[in-house]
Amino acid sequence: MKLEEDSMADIESSFEFSSSLTSSSLPPPRTRIFKIIVIGDSGVGKTCLTYRFCAGKFPDRTEATIGVDFREKIIEIDGEKIKVQLWDTAGQERFRKSMVQHYYRNVHAVVFVYDVTNAVSFRSLPSWIEECRQHALGQEVPRILVGNKCDLRHAAQVSTDVAQQFADAHSMPLFETSAKNPYGNDDGSRNDSDHVEAIFMTVAHKLKSQKPLILSQPPCGLGDTVTLRRQDEEERGSWGCGCWRS
Amino acid sequence: MKKSRSVGASSSLNGLGKQDGESRRKRKMAEITQALSVSPADVPALRRMAISEGGLLTDEIRRQVWPRLLNVSVDNIPEQLETVDRDNNKDFNQVLLDVQRSLRRFPPGMPDEQREGLQEELTDIILRVLVKNPQLHYYQGYHDIVVTFLLVLGERLATALVEKLSTHHLRDFMDPTMDNTKHILNYLMPIIERVNPEVYDFMQQAEVGTIFALSWLITWFGHVLSDFRHVVRLYDFFLACHPLMPIYFAAVIVLHREEEVLDCECDMAMMHHLLSRIPQDLPYETLISRAGDLFVQFPPSELARERSQQTAVSTFKDFELASTQQRPDTVLRQRRMEQQKRTMEAQRSTVAVVQSTGRRFMRLAVMGLTVALGAAALAVVNSALEWAPKLDLLFP
Repeated sequence: MKLEEDSMADIESSFEFSSSLTSSSLPPPRTRIFKIIVIGDSGVGKTCLTYRFCAGKFPDRTEATIGVDFREKIIEIDGEKIKVQLWDTAGQERFRKSMVQHYYRNVHAVVFVYDVTNAVSFRSLPSWIEECRQHALGQEVPRILVGNKCDLRHAAQVSTDVAQQFADAHSMPLFETSAKNPYGNDDGSRNDSDHVEAIFMTVAHKLKSQKPLILSQPPCGLGDTVTLRRQDEEERGSWGCGCWRS
Repeated sequence: MKKSRSVGASSSLNGLGKQDGESRRKRKMAEITQALSVSPADVPALRRMAISEGGLLTDEIRRQVWPRLLNVSVDNIPEQLETVDRDNNKDFNQVLLDVQRSLRRFPPGMPDEQREGLQEELTDIILRVLVKNPQLHYYQGYHDIVVTFLLVLGERLATALVEKLSTHHLRDFMDPTMDNTKHILNYLMPIIERVNPEVYDFMQQAEVGTIFALSWLITWFGHVLSDFRHVVRLYDFFLACHPLMPIYFAAVIVLHREEEVLDCECDMAMMHHLLSRIPQDLPYETLISRAGDLFVQFPPSELARERSQQTAVSTFKDFELASTQQRPDTVLRQRRMEQQKRTMEAQRSTVAVVQSTGRRFMRLAVMGLTVALGAAALAVVNSALEWAPKLDLLFP
């Protein structure tokens, strides 16, 4: 029911949508685009995560990202093809101020990444959140928190509890993962690209349910959204961490 | 800048018989040896050699010529390098992180042990220069430049040259903020606009920005080119030129890809994606001479004049000021006006592209002068008086 209201509110607030409804000839449906910016300290594995999601495999080696790299992947949710664009940003502080602003424009979601083996990268999160605030990203823009490199559990400096508290305080779901070895235990029981994929898919699901009006796109049926919600819950349950609180 | 023209320009180079190429190479080597053997070394000639086709040819020659191009006296480099205190260094963690990830910069066949040794040296060079020059700030990508010097020159010589480069050519990138780097990136679109307004309009419309060229600029393309031979060839060129030459080269790459750009979806993401992935099979020699041509036709001072009306470009106002104070600038301006008159006669779009070999050579020679002037201007900005003697050498 909540979701229905959201959708209605979106319809009312979107000039683009209402005008397309009234026009006699609808433009051919375009592929919707979800723009997601990935931020966090240097070396936490932003490039790895985004590469993993878009290429479906762990990169042999990654280098420092200078400025902003772009990756994309077409996904399908309930039969709709959606383009997920990931903006992978440089971690070094000097790049944030004058270089990366351009890429905060019109982002639909933010992924904060820290390295579970590096407490400093976790402590930097408030400044990254502040960074988003300065770029005038509203509260309605979904954010998620990813603790990366959990394959190196023995070297962890950031406990799941502490991270979860932080995530709760900032109304973000938390995911702990490894772009390299997503299951930590390496039990080989599942295809190992699932987890990173699931993180971004969750964001995409959230965006699809929350923002049916990105670009000039005919509405997705409410039935879809209900299905999505169920999928959301399933995913959440299987990870046992985090939930959407927007 | 139509494709057919660029093909024409490169085919004149590629069309040379192998034997002819070999004899030209030998002749060039002899000329370089000659320029090195006189006392003082003929630096203007060395600059021309570094710019002209094939650049400095071998790493052995580079070891002798690069110090000259940067006016570093090899005899004065201390035998013993200073030891580096890694533990108390604010940049150590970031440098280490970047150096550890820089595997791609080393020759593919190199044994791990040797590579690891070089990575240690790379870290030390960077930290040494930063400690000695507290006004310089490390940026991600700096390591991509330093590794090139290390691989060509070895640790001792690389340390001296990198320090000089960092206080001159790379100075703006090493400010506390990247504001000046951003200003330099702001030169990219005006250059493109003057050569190909259509490409310019299209890129503006897509709002692609200039960050796709950031890593090109601040690493002198070391970060994006996978073939080391191409990297050092470009370094020959950039070391012989004005510090802004990399931005002209960036413009030339975009212009070279005109068709791809115009075929691209007019969308920021798509265009950023297209442009940031640099083709590895670029016709480097053609592009280098084209960048040189553009530099002569649209020198930084002229672009700065235009830009300064829009933004406060402090560094380049200084640049301009500095160059007007130099006596030889009037000479250059005269030459430039003559040249502009000539180029006005030709069609605008053909201006930058096709030159007969002779004419191109003449232009590069002109550029050699412009380049020296630019270096002088930069030196004034940095209040480094050490460049002055070279000016006397060039303009007695």
